[in-house]
Amino acid sequence: MNKAEEISSKQKQIAVSEFFEKNKHFLGFDSLQRSIITAVKESVDNSLDACEEARILPNIHVELNKQKGDKIEFVTQDNGPGIPRNAIEDVFGKFLLGSRFHAIRQTRGQQGIGITGVVMYSQLTTGSKTHVISKVKQESSAVIVELGLDTRKNKAIKTGERREVWIDKNTGKEIEQGLRIRTIMKGKYQKGKQSVHQYLRMTSIVNPHASISLIVRDKDGNIIDQGNWPRTTERLPRVVSEIRPHPHGIHLGTLQRMLRESGERKMTSFLRHNFSGVSMRAAREILGKAKIDEGREPKRIKADDAQEMLNAFQKVKLLSPPMDCLSPIDDLLIKKGLSKAIDSRFASTVTRNPSVSQGNPFQIEVGLVFGGDLGADGPIEVLRFANRVPLMYQQGGCLLTKALESVDWKRYGLEHPGGRGVPKGPAALLIHLASTNVQFTSEAKEAVAENEEVHEEIRKALLEVGRGLKNHLKKSSQRKKAKEKFELVNIILPEIAKKSSEILARPEPDLAPVITQIMNAVFCEEVLDWDKERKIATCSIKIYNYTARARAYTILAKWPENEDTAMVDNDRGGRKETKGIWAWRLDTLNPGTCTTIKFGVSGLTKGDWVDTDIFFRGNGEIIGATRIDESLLDEIRKSEALIIAEKEIIKESNNLEPLIDRAEESVQKDISTTILESKEGQLSLSEWEVE
Amino acid sequence: MTLGKTKTKEEVIEALHSVAAEMHDKMLKGKPPAMTLPVRTKKNIQFDKKLQVYKYGKNKSTRDATALGSARVLLRSLHITEFIEDMIESGKSSTLREMYYISEGWGNGKFGTQNESNNLAEDLEIVTKCIREDFKLRPEEDGARIIGNVTFEEKNRKGEWMRINCRDDVGDSGYGVPYNVESEKLRLVEHDIDFVMAVETGGMFDRLVENGFDEEARCAIIHLKGQPARSTRRIMKRMSDEWKKPILVFADCDPWSFRIFASIAYGAIKTAHISEYLATNEAIYLGITADDILAYDLPSDDLTKSDLGALESELSDPRFATGWWKEQINLMQEIGKKAEQQSLAKYGLDFVTDTYLPEKLAALGLKY
Repeated sequence: MNKAEEISSKQKQIAVSEFFEKNKHFLGFDSLQRSIITAVKESVDNSLDACEEARILPNIHVELNKQKGDKIEFVTQDNGPGIPRNAIEDVFGKFLLGSRFHAIRQTRGQQGIGITGVVMYSQLTTGSKTHVISKVKQESSAVIVELGLDTRKNKAIKTGERREVWIDKNTGKEIEQGLRIRTIMKGKYQKGKQSVHQYLRMTSIVNPHASISLIVRDKDGNIIDQGNWPRTTERLPRVVSEIRPHPHGIHLGTLQRMLRESGERKMTSFLRHNFSGVSMRAAREILGKAKIDEGREPKRIKADDAQEMLNAFQKVKLLSPPMDCLSPIDDLLIKKGLSKAIDSRFASTVTRNPSVSQGNPFQIEVGLVFGGDLGADGPIEVLRFANRVPLMYQQGGCLLTKALESVDWKRYGLEHPGGRGVPKGPAALLIHLASTNVQFTSEAKEAVAENEEVHEEIRKALLEVGRGLKNHLKKSSQRKKAKEKFELVNIILPEIAKKSSEILARPEPDLAPVITQIMNAVFCEEVLDWDKERKIATCSIKIYNYTARARAYTILAKWPENEDTAMVDNDRGGRKETKGIWAWRLDTLNPGTCTTIKFGVSGLTKGDWVDTDIFFRGNGEIIGATRIDESLLDEIRKSEALIIAEKEIIKESNNLEPLIDRAEESVQKDISTTILESKEGQLSLSEWEVE
Repeated sequence: MTLGKTKTKEEVIEALHSVAAEMHDKMLKGKPPAMTLPVRTKKNIQFDKKLQVYKYGKNKSTRDATALGSARVLLRSLHITEFIEDMIESGKSSTLREMYYISEGWGNGKFGTQNESNNLAEDLEIVTKCIREDFKLRPEEDGARIIGNVTFEEKNRKGEWMRINCRDDVGDSGYGVPYNVESEKLRLVEHDIDFVMAVETGGMFDRLVENGFDEEARCAIIHLKGQPARSTRRIMKRMSDEWKKPILVFADCDPWSFRIFASIAYGAIKTAHISEYLATNEAIYLGITADDILAYDLPSDDLTKSDLGALESELSDPRFATGWWKEQINLMQEIGKKAEQQSLAKYGLDFVTDTYLPEKLAALGLKY
């Protein structure tokens, strides 16, 4: 090696370690406490992503064993697909590697620093190599290897590589597939809001399909902390597809490059094939507004015209980008996830319809749990997530928190001193932002950046769960009151009558008019239950008329209507009011009488349906039911009709698209080019992001 | 036996039946059963100029069976009525605590806490204008102890009158005041004293007894045992009325001791319905006063938050509305201190009997 080479290699060596050192804070290795969380996070995120891609239900185990000084042995193991022998070096040894940089879809990790950071950090702080066992299903044995980093070459150094049959120590059986990582690093294990325990707990809430466990031991091997979060669903998150960029989110530079690199002959085909959400009609309209001839060749479009086009993008109504690139958790699963992690009385969840901000599809999900074991004093627990990844730091500076704080929680039954800050009360609130492009405030990726559309969507979702909470609180106080009244007239009052008559040696009075006077109301009581044998959720609604007049009502009940569920055993018939709401017209209910509505719902599992709302139409209030809001009902009907209509339009346009293509192509008589065009038409995210 | 005029057992039963009858009549009319009684809070006590004590005002509340809580109370009062009737018929009596335990067998009419049963017994006293002695209900708390040259006659269990001199016929702990001190149980026979000294704490009572203060100052010493029981207040009232002797109250200087004095002199909120039988309006607060803390430079403690709160609420209490009390309370707030009776021991064990009390008594014109 000559002098020059020596210097340059030295420089490079300094550069890589320096890069790590300098960027420790946003790589998540800035403090001993945080480093251990980051290490767990990187490996668990990897496991979850790998399992999801391989369609495996993940089992993830994390072990932290304190050593002498401030060293910690770090072990994680999953049942994922494993890493093929020849890929191990790259996965663990190279920064900024990962297929996810090249696709527009929702994934967990977006940093790319990944597990390599763990290898690097261990090596730098303790000199420890990272011990990896990887078993791929198709192979007969597991690969065992020790990894270090050659910081000079930005490359892993493998030592002690061998193959062995991997046996599970607990069961004595061979492990079919999976990955185990063990290393020793400097770190500090702490409990609390920002801890490994909390990170895994939060992760399990938004990954209800994963089983996650944690064991932490002190120097002497005693267990000092542990957690076990079993899966609550067997349903894997859906496979997300990659999409083309949407015109609303494009920058000039990107557009110019797309034009430059385009193989299309005509501007209309360029627009339709390289972007999502652009129909033939829209393409023509855009070009018309930008005063660009439809037949011009994309390659020849100059900067001025490109800017015109960019402006036109905002003026033309476009179809939303396809939403199958997003993977929401689903409100039912959020409910399950929350209730497994937090013991509460009430859970309300909302999954909003996907929406678009600057061409990026995003979707908001919110879950609120209330009561039970949750602490009543102090602020509520805020659980923030972006693309299923828990956000644990910088709560105050995060858009999700700001949206939460902008709601007037007092109106929904939570304490909210001064209407500012995080509300107080026995509640926990989950906010999940799923998006193809989550904008963070900084490289640390711990706080979501301001965005009006996202803010508004979160607010709407929060108001919705807030209404749910308010209803619940109103209902439980009504229910308590009703219960007391029933006890009063059915038990205490008859005893007063009996005892006073005994004492005075008089005949007992007729209590019917007294009861009417005391109650003077119609009561409604619903009971939700689970028929174990028939696997049916049952609902029974009882209505008592304790007034002096006959009453006539229509009773409406909310039920979990979807493609998988059906209403059964509904002997009274009635009719569908709108999606998820059924109505029964009751016969006249005479004073002092009671009637019952019963039905069941199939297609659910136990615990899916634990709360419902009962509404009524008719004169006079019903305690335990709400007068139906006809305008709200209309809104529900309209939005339902809209969804159906939208679906049909999409179906139609899908049918139409090939026809239009063919028409165009036949004119051009250049079929082969078009096929080529559409193949290359997809743009990679890495390029798209550069601008 | 009652305070004032005697009620026969028929009258007591009739009074109780009227409570049940109010409920029954309401139900016959198709209305929820109810019980009407005065509001028993500080806001509803007024100074009765004629009687010179505080009594309940005109605010009445109706407890009716439209809410579960009050319906339960109504049911309980019927159970109590039945229980009292049984006791009257069989010549038994029970403590309030025993009644609380007996209520275990009353099903839905049982009490949640003893406080509930005590309060309800008082409610019934008020509504029926009887007293709990009429109901054969005894309090848990024992009465005071008395030492001094006074002679009582008490009817013992055999129904015989026993003559007891509270100086010669008792030990160091003095004469124990029974729960019933009405004339059919206790007679005030004779005395050779100039005043009655009511002492808050046991330690000070024993100090005065050991120092022979009762003989030296020609007084009867009563140990109040904190907030005095009804019988303690009643016997003081009788000594004041029948023997015309001044009642002097010697207590700690703190807001809670002021309340003890107020209940002796003006009546307590809980017993405002029988204030005229219990309250000794002529009672005088001897000390320790806020002035004394300064004048005698007594060892003192800082007032706590709850002390300050209590002082504040006393200022709004009609029983402390007079000028002298207001001054004392304001002074106390100003110096932020409180002191115990026994802090007088700073100057030796005899200081209280040799110096402090003679000086305080002299100021009242009681010399010895």
